[in-house]
Amino acid sequence: MASKVLIVDDEAHIVQVVSLKLRNAGYEVLTAVDGEEAFEIACAECPDLIVTDFQMPYMTGLELCQALASETTTTDIPVLILTARGYALDDDDLQIGNIKGVLSKPFSPRAILQQVKDLIGPSDADTSREADAA
Amino acid sequence: MLKEVLAAIFGLIALASATAGVAAAGLLWFVGRGEVSILTGAAIMFGLCAVVLTVALAPAGLMVARSMVRLKHDLEQIAQDNEQHPVMVGPKWLRPILDAFTEAVDRFRQRENAFRNQLRDLEIRHRVVDAERRQIEAVLHALRDGVIVTDSFNEITMVNETAAEILGFTVEQAMRKPIDDVLNNEYLSELVRSTREQANFADRRHVEYDLPIPGHNGEPEEERAFEITLTCVENHKHEVGGVVTILHDITREREVSQLKSEFVSKASHELRTPLSSIRAYVEMLVDGEATDEASRREFYSVIHNETDRLSRLIDNMLNISRIEAGIVQIEREHVDMKPLIQRAVETLEPQARDKAQMLNAKIAEVDLSVEGDADMLYQVVLNLISNAVKYTPENGRIIVAADSDNLTRSVVVTVTDTGLGIPPDAVSRLFEKFYRVENFKRVAKGTGLGLNLCKHIVETLHQGQIGVDSKLGMGSKFWFSIPMRYAGSQSAA
Repeated sequence: MASKVLIVDDEAHIVQVVSLKLRNAGYEVLTAVDGEEAFEIACAECPDLIVTDFQMPYMTGLELCQALASETTTTDIPVLILTARGYALDDDDLQIGNIKGVLSKPFSPRAILQQVKDLIGPSDADTSREADAA
Repeated sequence: MLKEVLAAIFGLIALASATAGVAAAGLLWFVGRGEVSILTGAAIMFGLCAVVLTVALAPAGLMVARSMVRLKHDLEQIAQDNEQHPVMVGPKWLRPILDAFTEAVDRFRQRENAFRNQLRDLEIRHRVVDAERRQIEAVLHALRDGVIVTDSFNEITMVNETAAEILGFTVEQAMRKPIDDVLNNEYLSELVRSTREQANFADRRHVEYDLPIPGHNGEPEEERAFEITLTCVENHKHEVGGVVTILHDITREREVSQLKSEFVSKASHELRTPLSSIRAYVEMLVDGEATDEASRREFYSVIHNETDRLSRLIDNMLNISRIEAGIVQIEREHVDMKPLIQRAVETLEPQARDKAQMLNAKIAEVDLSVEGDADMLYQVVLNLISNAVKYTPENGRIIVAADSDNLTRSVVVTVTDTGLGIPPDAVSRLFEKFYRVENFKRVAKGTGLGLNLCKHIVETLHQGQIGVDSKLGMGSKFWFSIPMRYAGSQSAA
C-alpha cells in the first residue's frame, strides 16, 4: 500500500502543486485547507506524514501539531512545516509535537519530495519502479 | 574753644563780683547810716545783683537761643535733603563742634550712598536673575519632556508641569522636597541617587523604563514607555551640584516601530505566498511534472495569475506608502460620479453574472460632482463593488447607490450586498493594512490592502469619509462620501 501524505494549506495552488509532486512520485495524497479539517482527516486516516502550512485560519500549523500530539493515534505522525515566516518559529515551537523539519516559502517541490522520502522512505510505486529498473 | 568758654565764665564771675561789690558797699553805707535794716539791705543787694546780671546776660542768652534755632534749622535741612556735603552755619564759638559733626554727617552720607548704589545693583541683578529664572521656567514648562532637577541633597529644585503630570504630583508640592517623598517611585529615586553618587560628568545615563501613569478623572492608570536621561550638574566647586532627569515618552515611537516591523513581516508573508506558487509551478514545469498539455496550460495560467497578484500587491503597497508619506499629488479635477459608477458596474457585471448575482446601480437624478482624482475615485468604487461580488454568495443582490447629502455637502456612494456580513470584532479592523477576516480567506483571495488603500484615497487625499455598516450573515453596506464640488469653486488642476 502506498504511503499516505496529508497536505494542508489554505492556498489552493500550494496544495495542488505539492499534491501533484508527491502523487507523481507514487504517494497517496490527502488534502485539507485548514488545521481543523487536517486534524479530522489525520484522526480518521492516520497518514504516514503531514506537510502543513504554518499560518492558516481556524487552527495554525503549530496548533495542529499540538492537537496531533494530544491524540495517541496521531502523536507519532511526523510533520513538515511550510512557512512564509521562518523567523516566527523558534526552537521552543519546534519542540511541539513531532515536527521533523521546516521549509521556508518560496519552497522547491523537489526539496519537499526529498524530505518526504528521507522521513518515510520512497513510495511503494517508486520502490517497485527502482526494482524494475534493476 | 575752651579759652572762649573760660573767658565767658571768668567775665561772668567778674561781672557778678563787681556787681556784688558795689551792692555790698552801697548796703554797708545805708546800713551804717541806719536807714535800712540789715535784712532789707541784703534783699535789696540780691535784687540789684539779679537785675544787673539779667541785663548783662540777656544778649548772650539771646545769641545762644538764636544759634540753637539756626542749628535746629540746619539739622532739619540735613535730615531732609540728600546733599553730598552738608553746610552748617553756626556761631563761631560752636564751629569746631559743628565742623566735626558736619564731617561725621558727610562720611555717613558717603557710606549711605555707597549702600544705596549697592542696593540698586543688587536690585537690578535680582530682577535680571528673576527674569532669567522665569524664562528658564517658561522654557521648562513648555517642554513636552518631563524635567526634574535635584540638588546635592536629592531635593527637587526645579520641575516642570510635564514631569509633575507624568508622576502624579503638582509643581508646588514638589519644590524643595526630597525625591523619595515626591516621586513615589523607588526605581526612579534610586536612579537619581545613584547618578549623583557616581558623579560621572562625562557620560549621560540612558535608561528605558515603563512608568505607570495615573489616570485623570477616574480613568485607569496606563503604562507608558520612557527614555530616562540623567545628567550630573557641576557646582562652582566642581562637585556634583545635582542631577537633571529628563523623561522622554517613547510609547508612540515604540508603537510606530512595532507597526513598521509588523508591516514588514505581513508584507513579506503576503509577497512570499504568490512567489511560492510561481516558484513551485515553474519548477514543476522544468521537472516535466505536467505530463499533458492541459496541465501545462493550467500551470502557465497559475503562474500568470500569481504574477498579477504579486504585481497588484506591490502596486497597492507602494501606493499606500506613498500616500502615507504624503508624496502623492492628486489631479484635482471636476469629476462627475455618475458615469464613473456606471463604468465600474459595467466592468464587474460579467463577474456578477458568473455568480448569478443581481448587480444594479441606483443613481439619484441630482448633481453628483466632486473635485478629485477620477482614476483614484474609480478605483475606490471598483474595489467596493468587487469585494461585494467576491463575498456575496451566488444569486445574491448588490446595489450601488449614489446621492448627494446637502447636510454635509457631499456625494455619498453606497455599495449594499446580501453577502456574508462582517463579524462585529472585525468591523473596526477592516480598513487596517493586511487585515483579512480569518474565516473569509477561503471565500475569496485578497491582498488585505484594498480597503486600506480606499480609506487613504477617500480620507487622506479627498478629505472624505469611508465606513461600513454590517451584521454577520445579514450582508454589508460599505459607503464613502466626498465633499461636493460647489458652484464657483476653482479647479486646482
